[in-house]
This record gives sequence, structure tokens and C-alpha cells, in this order.
Amino acid sequence: MSNQENQNEQMLINRRDFIKYSAVGAGAVAATMALPGFMLGNAGAVDLADLPMKYKDYNVVFVSFDALQAAHVGALGYRANVTPTIDAMAKQGFNFTNNISVASWTVPASMTWFTGVYPSEHRLTNKFSVFNPPNNNVLSNLKKLSPELVTLAEVLKQNGYATGGFTGNAGVSGGFGYSQGFDEYFFEKGKFGSMGVSIPKGLEWLQKNKDKKFFMFLHGYDMHGQNVPAEGFDYRFVEKGYDKKYTGSAAEQEALREEGLEKGAVALRDSDVRFWRAIYDEKIQRTDARFKKFLEEYEKMGLMDKTIFVLTSDHGTEFHEHKRFDHGFSLYDELIHVPLIIKLPKQKAGKLIKDQVSSIDVMPTILDLIDVKLPEKVKKQLRGESLVPGLKGRDVAKDVFFETDYRQYTYKRGIQTKDGWKLIYTLENKNRELYKLNKDPGETRNLVDQEPRIAYELEQRIFAHFKSIGHDLNAKQWIPGLNPVYDSQAKGVSKK
Amino acid sequence: MMKLAGGCSGVICHAVMTVVIVLVMHCSAGAGSTQNAVPLPERHEYTNVIMISLDILRSDHLGAYGYQKGTSPQIDMLASQSVLFENAIAHSYLTPVAQMSVFTGQYPRIHGMVSFEVNKDDVSKRTLPEILKYYGYETAAFASSPEFFMRYDTESGKIVNPKDIFSRSFNYFGRTLPDDTGSVRSNPSGALDWLKVNKDKKFFLWIESGMLHPPYSQTVPLPYKTRFDPPMYTPFYEQFPIRLGREDIDRGVPTEVLFHVYKGDYYLDFEPIHHLTDNDVNFINGRYDAGVYYTDMFIGDLMRQLDMLNLSGKTLVVFHSIHGESLGEHGYFFHHDVFDTEVKTALMFRLPDKDQAGARIKRQVQGIDIMPTILEYLQIPTNHESQGSSLMPLINGDDAGFKGSEYAFIDRLPWWEYVLGGWHLEHQSEREAQYTPLEMKKMNDYKLLLQEKIGGGQYPPQCIAIRTNQWKLFLREKSDLLENISWWNFISGKKFPVESVELFDLVKDPMEQKNVAREHPQIVEKLKAKLLEWDALNTKNRAAVRQGMPLIIPYP
Repeated sequence: MSNQENQNEQMLINRRDFIKYSAVGAGAVAATMALPGFMLGNAGAVDLADLPMKYKDYNVVFVSFDALQAAHVGALGYRANVTPTIDAMAKQGFNFTNNISVASWTVPASMTWFTGVYPSEHRLTNKFSVFNPPNNNVLSNLKKLSPELVTLAEVLKQNGYATGGFTGNAGVSGGFGYSQGFDEYFFEKGKFGSMGVSIPKGLEWLQKNKDKKFFMFLHGYDMHGQNVPAEGFDYRFVEKGYDKKYTGSAAEQEALREEGLEKGAVALRDSDVRFWRAIYDEKIQRTDARFKKFLEEYEKMGLMDKTIFVLTSDHGTEFHEHKRFDHGFSLYDELIHVPLIIKLPKQKAGKLIKDQVSSIDVMPTILDLIDVKLPEKVKKQLRGESLVPGLKGRDVAKDVFFETDYRQYTYKRGIQTKDGWKLIYTLENKNRELYKLNKDPGETRNLVDQEPRIAYELEQRIFAHFKSIGHDLNAKQWIPGLNPVYDSQAKGVSKK
Repeated sequence: MMKLAGGCSGVICHAVMTVVIVLVMHCSAGAGSTQNAVPLPERHEYTNVIMISLDILRSDHLGAYGYQKGTSPQIDMLASQSVLFENAIAHSYLTPVAQMSVFTGQYPRIHGMVSFEVNKDDVSKRTLPEILKYYGYETAAFASSPEFFMRYDTESGKIVNPKDIFSRSFNYFGRTLPDDTGSVRSNPSGALDWLKVNKDKKFFLWIESGMLHPPYSQTVPLPYKTRFDPPMYTPFYEQFPIRLGREDIDRGVPTEVLFHVYKGDYYLDFEPIHHLTDNDVNFINGRYDAGVYYTDMFIGDLMRQLDMLNLSGKTLVVFHSIHGESLGEHGYFFHHDVFDTEVKTALMFRLPDKDQAGARIKRQVQGIDIMPTILEYLQIPTNHESQGSSLMPLINGDDAGFKGSEYAFIDRLPWWEYVLGGWHLEHQSEREAQYTPLEMKKMNDYKLLLQEKIGGGQYPPQCIAIRTNQWKLFLREKSDLLENISWWNFISGKKFPVESVELFDLVKDPMEQKNVAREHPQIVEKLKAKLLEWDALNTKNRAAVRQGMPLIIPYP
């Protein structure tokens, strides 16, 4: 085995290995050596126990690194140093090591941050709410689908915050209603845009709004399969001797995804998988560097001590772990286990929080931290719980639920218990997958037949959960259909 | 076993008090351990379940339901120890269809057991015994209705354990063997021995009897067979034999004789040749009652066995009839429709501690409610696929807590004429059945008619009913078709009309003799809307054509 291969092997640790280590992984240690200046000279830093946990009128910067798999984050145990900036923030903040997204792709997952309800409830579960080509296609839109829901940005705006969103479009396009509640919402039509574009737009806005209290949503597709660096790849992590069957292009990624959807599996060699992970690492490292520059500019504005940072991702991505590629179709750990880092103003000492939590908890947590009085309507709306007690050291571990109706290829619902059982239920064929995550983190052994009682009870939990939020999964028939997301799929499509 | 995380469900919290009492009893009987924080055992950890399912049993032929002929002293005693439901409704007239609703908590269309020809993969697999297996139950069945031996060896008498629609959920699937009369429809007494051997296991035992099925009293031995015969009576069919020279042995009231009786007349060669006297009707009823009495003796043996094996105190006994039987009230003796005679059932639950013993509940309940009730009692989560509601609130006197529908829904699924064309007529010739040469000849045309009307993709829709304790509405969308293909119209050579809408006032007219649809148009409209709403919500397996040949002879 060459050194390069060996290194790749080491990088490909089990996603949950970090749980076994008491300290954060080597990547994060390396990251501390690369800390930008602002993180060292944090005058007036406050010890963990002295943090007030109430931050009325503080700023909030909410960052989504689209498609960042937890296993590729140094602060979560990844051994390559690709996320030094994120890791540094994790080290100084609260690092939730078991944060599970409610969905495995952008459109449904991201809207849950902004509404505090599950995708089934906000109903942005596909690009089109009606897809009946050629003349009857209706784009999903929050205001049309769920007019009663109040967004995070709306609540903050009502509380006097300036609100700005700076995004890479696509899944978080304003057209879906993501802009609801934002004074300014940037998305470049037709793009899977980079932070290379959204960050400068955001900084521009900050210059105008830095003296107000503000809420900023920063997002980019830099790590996503449909985005390639403007300057091209330098293949910094690709092993020598790879035969260059793939180049890392968006078109290749798309073709692999479609092949998986079409055939249920993609034919990839191990060397191809290593190549794609190397491409992913390069993208992540480049993104991290862009984010570092953002923070440097941010610090120059003197805002660090007045700001709560929330770093997370909407979903992960899959590299053939379960024979498919890309994301959306499945609900495996590589797709829904994502980072969640909360750094409070003047916080110096960080903390690992291993309790399992959900992206449904993000909105209540932010609202709790900035101590705004919630209208009854919003209180009732929120399905998650504030994680602030967790920041104070209390147990906030919970069983979490997730779902995907990706392009109507499938309709999956899942539960993951805090003690590590996971059931994925596929509605169109009643297929069930039961995994014991602490023994089988790769989700390779379906225990439905060995553990019929657990499978049965978790299935009941899934159905009871969705029923309790007004979605009786038995009340409709789940027939796979067609609901394209990408323009290439919509072209020439005729509904059967 | 892992305890799933999450809050205490309402079911479990509700049951805690009872469990505490049980624990106290356990402790005083045991070593007097004073361990702290012993997790409360859930009932499924120590409770056996016996389900007694009697086919063709009319509740109103049991003393516990008001019958005065002394047919059921043992069942009456069981009733006095149980909670009894006075108005329980089955979802179909056909045995495996109705029973699958009990086992799954689903309407027939949804569980998919809608005819004898179904593919086993199209039928719900998650039955009550299947779920109980997940919880460590030993599951055993003793059945005597051949409907449940589907597609396996009924000839050799071998006990086999194939993985088929009913048998697949059971660790052991036992069946009765043909007796002297050649019928398997005898008391499933093998269950008594099974209990002796398996008394120390935690078990679910299903005991099913088809004893009451026509020919009435076939397998009932003397002297019980003639116990309810009118004195000095000779059956009318012996005076007017269908075919001469047949053996003269009392095999009960022959099915083919019943198939020649309609609206009080006995028909041969399409002519009424005898008007049934009161004695004739009493005799047929008496032979049916003889079956009830002999079944009742078996139930007595079973209950004594439970006492002797010290199982009564830790066994939930569920007693029910799968469906009923029309005994002339609607012109015929058989079951093929949705009248109360055929779908009103007996239902009782004897709780292990005999809690609420003797309670009688008037509220209407349905077959789909039985499984959720048992699961709730055992503190097992109810299957989300179940469409019924637990009866435990009613059992505990909390009427408001019962979440079930005030309406019961009944499906004439499959159409009986479909079943008839699929097996009965086919097998007449093989068995040299009792039909006249002229009848046999015309039967070919009738068979073709059935094939044309319901075999060739024209399986007719909608013959459904909705019921409350006061009203029952029938919708027969294709009443003209029903009229044309009716067996009774065929055998009598007449055209008795079939109505498309029938409404009965069950309070004034419990036997559904007078259609009052015209007098109560508003009630018709209201119930019709409810019924059609249900129909629209339960579209799966509605009026589908089942392809393929019948694989069993359900009524040998």
C-alpha cells in the first residue's frame, strides 16, 4: 500500500469513530495551529460556566455549508485537515457530534431550520407542488403550500432585526419562499452558487447593517456535487496513479446520481470512490478557506463579540457506501448526520455535546438564545426543542425523525433512537431497514428479521409521529412518480 | 429486550395501577424480594391469550344472548365471567374474509383476504399471532374449518405446517381430521392436549371450529344430534328425495337440501313441491342448535382444562363468532349476504383476573376492533395498519374514551355468486351431488351466466352495508344483475326482486323484514353519504377480478 493510499484509508474512518475517542480528532488539533488571529486574541472571553445563555439583541450568523457530511469534518473526527476554520470554531463553541437532519436533500431539509416544522408539514418536499407537464407545473412555495407558517426571519424581523440571506440559490432559492422574512435575499438564478459569490454579497450587506442588530443566513454549494471551483480543481488529495476515469465535474456527478436512481446501484471501483472523496475534500478545504476569509472580514467590523454563530449543513452526501451516489434518495447516516456548531459571543472554551439532536431544534434554539418573546402561534408551530439546556450541561438527547420524498422516486420515513437504533421505512413498498448504529455504523446489516419486535415498535413510532403532526401515512397511497429537480430532468419530460 | 426510548405511552401509564396490584400478588406469592425499582412487567410478559373463533355461530342462539332453549350452558358460564358485547359486527359473511379482519384489524378490502383465490403475497402478513410472536409468544392454532387449511393437504389428514395465509403466523398449525362422516368440521379437541404439553410457555392459542356449518349437525354424535329434533319427526327431504337411491344415513341437514329451499318452499326441478311446515323449520333450527350444544360441551371441556392447568388466572380468553347464519329469516338457510343474521356476532373477553365480569356492553363494535383491544390489554403498541379501535375503554367503563366509529361497515366481498361459480357448481358433478338431471342440465347455463357476468372482468361493484344500533342501510348498486344471477332465483325458477337500497329499523325490526327506505329518506341520505365515504376511503381490493382457479374446496 502506498503512503497516499494509506493516508486515504486513515481518512476514511467510520463516521462514528469519533464517539470512541474522548478528544476531537487529529484534524481539529491541527486546526488549532492554523487559527486565524481573531480566535486567539479573544479579549474578554468568558468561561463556559459564566456564559449568560441569554443574548438579547445580539446578532446571529447562520451558516449552511451545503452537503457537508459529518464524517468529513475534522471536529467530528475526520483525520485529514480540510476544515481548520470550522474546527476552530467548533473547539471554541458547542460542537454537537450527533446532529441529525430531518431530510437528506436541500429543499426539505433547509426549510425546517426556518419554520421549525418537519418537511411533511412545511410541504416543501419537492421542487414542484404540482408537476403535470407541459403546462401545469407549479413550483413549490412556502407561502402557497403552508401560508400559516411563520419563518425564523419573520420572527426576527418583527423583533427589530435586519435580516439578510446570501445563498447559492437552487434548493434554497427565493422562489421556494426561502426569502420569506428577509429584507434582502440573494440567490443567483440558474446557479448552484458558491460562497465565493454569496460571501462578498453578504459582506456588502453587513457594511450597511453592521450597526443594527442583524440576522444573516450565509449559504453556498461549494461542497456540493453540482458546484466546481471557479478556478478549477488542483486535485490536491487525489492519489497518484489514478487513471482519471472521472474528472470531478458536475456532469459526472449528475450522471452517477441518475444511474443510481435508475438502476438502484452505481458501478464504481474503489479507486473511483477514493477519487470522489478526494474531490470532496478539496471542495471542503476550499470552502473552509473562503469561510476563513469571511471571518477575517467579519472580525474587522468588530462584530465577533456581538454575534452568535451557528454552523451546520442541510444534509451529507453519499460515496457508494450503499451503492448509490449523491444524495436525496436515501436516509443513511452519511446523508443525514451533519455538523452543528453553536458559538456564543465571547465564548472561549468549547464543549462536545454527544446527545443526539435534530435540525428541527435549530430554530427554537436560536430563538431561545436571543431571548425574544414568541407569539403563541410560533410557540405552537415549533416541533423541536431548544438545545440551550444542553449548552448548560443538561441531557437533551432525543429520538429523531427524518424523511425524503426525493423527486417522488421514493417516499421514505425514518426514526433514530438516542440509544442507536434506526429504522427506515419505505412507504411505496413497505420495505423496512433496521440498523443498530453503535455496532453497525455503516448500516450494512438489516436486523428486521433478527429483531422483529424492535422493528415493529419503531415502525409504530414512525407512523405515530407523523400522525401526531397531522400526516396519517396510511391515509394515502404512495405511488412513485416524477418530480424533477434539475433542469436537465425537466426537459422533454412527458408524464406517463 | 431493549426498552425503546421515549415517553410513557398513554396505554402503559393507564395500566400501571393494575400492574402494581399484580406485582404485589406476585411478591407475596414469591420469595418476598424487596428489590427496589423493579421495572414493572408489561402484561405481554406474563399473559397468555386464547382466541376461540366459532364459525356460523349466531349470538342469538346462545343463552347469554337471550336464547331460551338451553343450547349453551358452558358458554353462558364463560359469559358470566367475561365482558360481553351485545352488538358486535363482522365485516363479511365469508369465513376467512371476516376472520382476517379480526386478525389484522383491517377491513377486508385492505387486508386483501377477499376470496379463496388470492395470492398469499397480496394478503396482510401482520396478523395478531405474528405480532405476538415478536413478543415471545408461542403461537398455535387448532382449526376445523377447511377454509383455514387453504391449499394444503386436506385429503391425507396429515398435519402440515406450510407457510400460507393463515398458517404462516403460527409456530404450530393443527387441524382436525375427517371423522366417520368424512367431515373435518368437528370440535378441535386437539387443543386440549396441546395445552397440557405447553402450559408453561407463554402462548397464543387459536381455537377455531367449523362445526356449525351446513350440513347442520353432520359431525354431532348421538344422542346430541337429535336433542332438539321435534318429536316423531321425519325430515321433509326424505319424503321428497332429490335423487332416488341415495344412501340413507343421517349426515345432518344436507347442504343441497338447503340450496333447494327458498322463502318457505322446497323446490325440485324448479317447481315448489313442498311448503315447509313449522316442524320442518324447527327441525332445521334444531339441527343447527344441536351443533351449538355440542360445541358448547367442548367449550366446557376447554374451560375446565384451563382451570385444571392453573391457566385461567393468567390467560385472556377472547370468544367470538366469525359470522352468523341465516336460518330462514330471509328465505334461505345459509350465509351469503350482509343481514344481521349473518354478520352479527357473539363477542366476549374474559380477563385473567375476571375484572368487569358480567359486564354487558350495548355499544356497537366491529371485528376490526378485536386486535387493537387484545394488544392494548397486553400493553403492546397497536399496529398502525389496523383500522379498528381498542375496546379497552368500553371494557373499563370509559365510554367517552372509546375512539371507535359509531358505524360498522360490511362488505359483501366477494360476491357469493362468485364463490359459487368458482367451486360449488364445479364440484357438484364430481361428488354426484343431489341435483336432479334437469337441474344439472340447466346448471350448465347458469354456470356460463356466472362466468360471463362475474368471471370475465365484470366483477360487480358495491354490495355494501352500514350499520348503527338503530339503522342499517344496504346499497346494492347492481341489484338487477344480482337478480339475474341469484342462485335462489335460479333454483326456484322465479324472479324474486332484489332492491338496490334497503333500510331497516333494527330497533323495531331486528330481523330486517321490512325495507323502510321510502319512509326515511333523510336517514337513507345520511347513511348513504357515510357509507360511500367509507367506500371511497377503502378503495384497495374493491371489486377486483380474481384470476386463477380455486385452489381449495371450501365446503367439502
